[in-house]
Amino acid sequence: MAWLGFAILALVLWGITGVTQKLSTNRISSERSFLWFCWAMVALSAVVVVAARPHWGLGTTVVVCSVAGGALNGLGAWTSFKALESGGKASIVISLISLFPLLTVMLAVVLLHERLTWMQMAGAVVAIAAAILLSLESAPPKVGA
Amino acid sequence: MLAHEWAPTKSPKGEGFRMSETSRLHRLPLWLFWSLVTIVLWGSWGLVSKVASDGVDAYMNQLLFTVGIAPLLVFVSWKVRRGVASEKREGRNRGIFWAFLTGILGGVGNMAYFQAMVKGGKASVVTPVTALFPMVTVLLALVFLEERLGRLQWVGLGLAFVAIYLLNA
Repeated sequence: MAWLGFAILALVLWGITGVTQKLSTNRISSERSFLWFCWAMVALSAVVVVAARPHWGLGTTVVVCSVAGGALNGLGAWTSFKALESGGKASIVISLISLFPLLTVMLAVVLLHERLTWMQMAGAVVAIAAAILLSLESAPPKVGA
Repeated sequence: MLAHEWAPTKSPKGEGFRMSETSRLHRLPLWLFWSLVTIVLWGSWGLVSKVASDGVDAYMNQLLFTVGIAPLLVFVSWKVRRGVASEKREGRNRGIFWAFLTGILGGVGNMAYFQAMVKGGKASVVTPVTALFPMVTVLLALVFLEERLGRLQWVGLGLAFVAIYLLNA
């Protein structure tokens, strides 16, 4: 059951990042936040090159797609910093953007001709309802109320 | 609906969204706009990573991710340098600390996710379970950031967790 420990570790660490992102954008711009997020990635990669043994023998398609994926993921990290900087609550923004598999599933159906499972169909419907409800902001308190 | 009515509107930091009930129906808050852009970017990333996932281990994933963000790093460095004069200095070091920590925790989390599968966890179990990480964020945000949510947002959160699980299963 060692895998469960790693899965829980990933869950907790990713969960904490939602709050650290907000703490960062409360103090500095989303650009500077993202810049230091990138430097952390560079530092981690340096550790990986020195301490770990990455599997180098990859095909061109895999490398190109992985690098493109890194760029898309990085841009997404930047825009998530911008969402938090713009006044979005961490609990709402992080939950909302975590619905991104909805788009992945839709793109996979259109571009890769994958078939939707019943679970995914149900997930898509629930995700749309969730996104609408999450995006509803409570009205500001009335003066004198 | 006119296009300009959906132009994102900036809300003051930490003060919520100040708009009348009527205009709120027609305008997209800036935080929501950027959240939707994030969904588009990460949704596309999800598709690209479907193609790229064969043969990439946790370490190569980290290295290739860094190669991918390298141009962004250069661009953002230039942007930050240009805007440095208008930025306030107070709290900058703390902000940088939290941003750097975000990167480290996110990167180590990615490696732990890969490691979970190396250690025998099935992707069909590990992925939906770890995808529920916003639950941790919500819990911490309520306690440490003292965020308060409306009733409908609570319902939305519940549905989001169900949806995240179903979409990743």
